[in-house]
Amino acid sequence: MALPFLEVSNLKKGFGGLMATNNVSFNVARDEIIGLIGPNGAGKTTLLRLITGILKPDSGNIKFRGKDITRMKVWDIVNLGIAGTFQNMRPFRRLPIIANVMVSCLSPRALKTGEWVKRIEAKALDALEFAGISDMALEKASTLSQGDLKRLEVARAIATDPELLLLDEPFGGLSPAETDLMAKSIKRLHKGGRFGRLHSEGPAMIIIEHKLQALMKIVDRVIVLNYGEVVAQCSPEEVVKHPAVIECYLGKGEI
Amino acid sequence: MSLLRYHLRKLFMIFKNEVLVLPSRIVVCIFFILLLIWPLIFEDPYAMRIVILASIFAIFAASWDLLSGFTGQINFGHALFFGVGAYGAAILNRQTGMPPWGSIPLGALIAVLAGLIVGIPCLRLRGTYLALTTLAFPIILASLIMTAPEYTGGEMGMSGLARLAMSRTANYYIVVVTMLVLVTVMWKITDSRMGIIFHAIREDELAVKAAGINTTMYKLIAFSLSGFFAGISGGLYAHFMRIAGPSTLEVSMSFQVVIWCVFGGMVTIWGPVGAVFILFPLLEFLRMWPEWRELMFALIVLIILLYMPGGLLPWVRNKIETECPRCKIRNVAFRSSCRVCAAEMK
Ligand SMILES: Nc1ncnc2c1ncn2[C@@H]1O[C@H](COP(=O)(O)OP(=O)(O)O)[C@@H](O)[C@H]1O
Ligand SMILES: [Mg+2]
Repeated sequence: MALPFLEVSNLKKGFGGLMATNNVSFNVARDEIIGLIGPNGAGKTTLLRLITGILKPDSGNIKFRGKDITRMKVWDIVNLGIAGTFQNMRPFRRLPIIANVMVSCLSPRALKTGEWVKRIEAKALDALEFAGISDMALEKASTLSQGDLKRLEVARAIATDPELLLLDEPFGGLSPAETDLMAKSIKRLHKGGRFGRLHSEGPAMIIIEHKLQALMKIVDRVIVLNYGEVVAQCSPEEVVKHPAVIECYLGKGEI
Repeated sequence: MSLLRYHLRKLFMIFKNEVLVLPSRIVVCIFFILLLIWPLIFEDPYAMRIVILASIFAIFAASWDLLSGFTGQINFGHALFFGVGAYGAAILNRQTGMPPWGSIPLGALIAVLAGLIVGIPCLRLRGTYLALTTLAFPIILASLIMTAPEYTGGEMGMSGLARLAMSRTANYYIVVVTMLVLVTVMWKITDSRMGIIFHAIREDELAVKAAGINTTMYKLIAFSLSGFFAGISGGLYAHFMRIAGPSTLEVSMSFQVVIWCVFGGMVTIWGPVGAVFILFPLLEFLRMWPEWRELMFALIVLIILLYMPGGLLPWVRNKIETECPRCKIRNVAFRSSCRVCAAEMK
């Protein structure tokens, strides 16, 4: 009996009177890509921030490979292999883009798993190339467009060599063509071909995204949140027909 | 013989290709050489004393930049490290008869301890709160020192410390060479991998944590390193002046270092060092008009800060050098194409 890869149980987090995450439980398998959807304010970002340890839950717990990570420090969680991106991007604005990524490459985990690349600059460039912004490596991060900042977020996250990657709206600010490219890169990363440790499987993922069409092409399973609660867990094919999904989107009058 | 020639040639090539290409590097080179040959040219003891004191304060200023400029942990009580270094060296020297080459580094290690004692409670504080809290520490230490005059000399301080060296020239070389080495080391630290993390912590600490970096550890490292270098400067000061007194812990001492760094250009290491070597002699020069001295000094600093918000030295540097738009290598301002990638400079 193998331990579940990621096990979230009865997670609760309130802000004042508002329950942003209410009794959320779900599992993620090692080889899955999960789509996390729901209307604005449903608590998706909060849930990811609870998993990365940036927020601490009021109750409930999170286990990663059987280890309880609920109260661990953010950096310890990253070094166990969970990396996430910020929805509202947080680049180091006055540093060159490559230095932004080198910070991730200097984490103990990246230094340990990245031995095949001796120079961290090379590894950082590799991550930037994956995200499609390697040609701007020497520019200051403050010069980037919104879409490129998104890509920088992705590059910084994958540079820590995660086993579980949490992406908060990775297609935000990207054009349809760019979205397509990013979706393909993500899929390829998941298969483990291009980036990360050679000859190994890519990271499992949880992806928050509003661009449902692009998202449904790459995910294995969808979790739908509304008012901080899981209202549905289904396959990407079922999601458009699922009554609970239709209700929570149409109920708020938006898709 | 041919081996020697080979190495000399190599050295010359490095000099020609790496140093002579940029005015800022030439200036640094001249600065180093000038300081090293100064006593051979000028024998004036007063001028020598000014250079010695400027060197001591240059270490102090650079150490503030390392902590507050790079990691953004604004410290308004930097005199604490200076004072601990000075008193540490003084007590070791007076109580155990330890010579300066032992008491100064050990005093600096005590300053590291002070850095940790200050750093740990300050880990939770940010920005203004951190700055105001740190302001209090040297004041607290100064009052502690007053309560134990039998060990610390109280109001009078501890005088009669051992000289750094017997001759004035030897004093000069000890201080100046120490300064050049330590400043280079600090600059190297900021230019290393650790430097990137320091920069990033200043920009956005949470994002650094999310990159898997133990920011608590790095902030404590920054406090300790800064405390060490400031402690050395305090120890040098005590042994050079042959007295460690409560003035080393004064608030004005803490603010002076901030003025030097902001004036010279923060987050550079060389900016504060340059600033000390400009402002310290300037303040001496202004002694010619004693009643106007403070006012003129304040005006000069104010004007520079108004017109050059990034500091004087980066401003000058940006006038004489430009960055290649493609490869970001710096070039002399008058070049029309980049010296490395040949891209057009505009
Ligand atoms: N730091 C915070 N303080 C107070 N309320 C918050 C905070 N973060 C999120 N919220 C609230 O929690 C709810 C869920 O937010 P969020 O997780 O960002 O939703 P989503 O990402 O699904 O749009 C929202 O109502 C939001 O206003
Ligand atoms: Mg969100």
